[in-house]
Amino acid sequence: MTLWPLRYIGTLGAYSWRWQRRRLTTWFVTAVVLGVVLSVAAAVQLVVWLGERSLAGQLQSASEMQVFVTDGATPDQQAALKTKLAGVSGVSRVTYRSKAEAAARATRDPQLAPLAGASEGNPFPASFVLEMRDPGIAPRVLRTVSGDPAVDPKIPASYTAAQAQHLNSALGAMKFIAGALDLVALGVGAVVALALLRGEVRARREELRILTLVGVPRLVIRVPLVVQVLSVAVAGSALAIVSLVYIGQHVVPAIDQSLPFLRLGDPRDAFSMLAVGTLAASCAALVPCALLVRLPR
Amino acid sequence: MIVPTGPDDGPDEEYGRGQIQLTDVSVGYGDDTVLENMWLQVDRGEFLCVEGPSGAGKTTLLRLLYGSLLPRTGVAVVDGVDLGTLRPRHVSRFRRRLGCVFQSYELLTHLTARENVLLPLQLAQMAIDQPDERADQALEMVGLREKAASRPAELSGGQQQRVAIARAIAHEPAILLADEPTGNLDTASTVEVMRAFQAFHAEGGTVIMATHDESLRDQFAQRVVRITPRAA
Repeated sequence: MTLWPLRYIGTLGAYSWRWQRRRLTTWFVTAVVLGVVLSVAAAVQLVVWLGERSLAGQLQSASEMQVFVTDGATPDQQAALKTKLAGVSGVSRVTYRSKAEAAARATRDPQLAPLAGASEGNPFPASFVLEMRDPGIAPRVLRTVSGDPAVDPKIPASYTAAQAQHLNSALGAMKFIAGALDLVALGVGAVVALALLRGEVRARREELRILTLVGVPRLVIRVPLVVQVLSVAVAGSALAIVSLVYIGQHVVPAIDQSLPFLRLGDPRDAFSMLAVGTLAASCAALVPCALLVRLPR
Repeated sequence: MIVPTGPDDGPDEEYGRGQIQLTDVSVGYGDDTVLENMWLQVDRGEFLCVEGPSGAGKTTLLRLLYGSLLPRTGVAVVDGVDLGTLRPRHVSRFRRRLGCVFQSYELLTHLTARENVLLPLQLAQMAIDQPDERADQALEMVGLREKAASRPAELSGGQQQRVAIARAIAHEPAILLADEPTGNLDTASTVEVMRAFQAFHAEGGTVIMATHDESLRDQFAQRVVRITPRAA
């Protein structure tokens, strides 16, 4: 007697399979169409993810901002400036870089090395190096140090707020475009799934009506629809994942070779995340379709 | 006297079982009222025939009794359930208390006779014990055990209707509703089908059968209710 839930689940599973088996061609076509749509979405996501990672690398270096210290600044003025900088919201660490350290780093930088070699003295100023959680706070830092006696009045910082904002905007735009494309892909997928389900309900109207007449709960009548749409989502996602791996292994290296400045890099890290994301998103978008489609009364 | 109870009240399984009571009930479709001020009391174990000309409302009455239509006025209590308080989501649960047989058999053509009896039993009566045996017993009761593996297309009209009766009685309802069950059958098949109804009735079940066949009415009915069309 206590085994009836298991037996009931088994019966429902068998019924759902029998339901699906009779219209495998329709199921297959729908799964392929959905797979193509999800493949496009997953490929876009992959390229965007790799591009974002590449940009994030650039942002990482951009997130290290230097505030230059004027040569005549006293130790007290420097200490006061350091305290002021550490108090700016979004600054995670402030370290002092002396003129000697700056000169040593310059000799290792291919762009600054000729200047370091040609100069008699040390033209590189001391600075406070700020680690920022978000380069977007650069304007705040510049406002804070504006007019400070310890700060070089001509070149107060290593980069401007506008540069940081540009990088941030580029990243934001990429995320937005990828998100919009994903939503469109899931929307198309949901429309495809709804078309499948409505076709199924039409083709089986008589069967559904009879099951309703003999008292089968409407929730139970929906189970084969849910199973069907879930299987379509899984099959479509599987196809998308195969496409994703192919694009990652063949197309991304080709892009890197022809457009080296992009530096998309190794896509393998992204595979599992995007595969799980594609499967979860397609199931989340399609299963509600099975609950929304109207059954005969 | 039946005390109306609804599914939410946790109906007593035996209270009002097999009984029907309509008290001043009106029912219809859209703006049309088909049955008006109907009073009917059916006791457990009765074999009642509902007769009347086409369009009089026989099918409407049966649709009311199996919860497809709700009473507009009055009180309708079927098998202990007050239909006036029946919520749409409880209709399927209510139907599982009844057996229904239709003129056009309503069998699933891709399933065998046994599967047609078994599937609703398995899907609708979730916790039922030994559904396979119940299905076999029901087919035995209607004399179709040997046709269990046949699909509806391989069966005569009478046999198909008997499969439908087996499906309707497999879960042992107290009330069997039949809407012109022999309407599409020849005389020999009609006899077979009526034997199946008799077998259910002999076990103590209540049968409500809509028919326009006077010979059936005279031969089987313990009581006849005649519905006359409403004056326009």
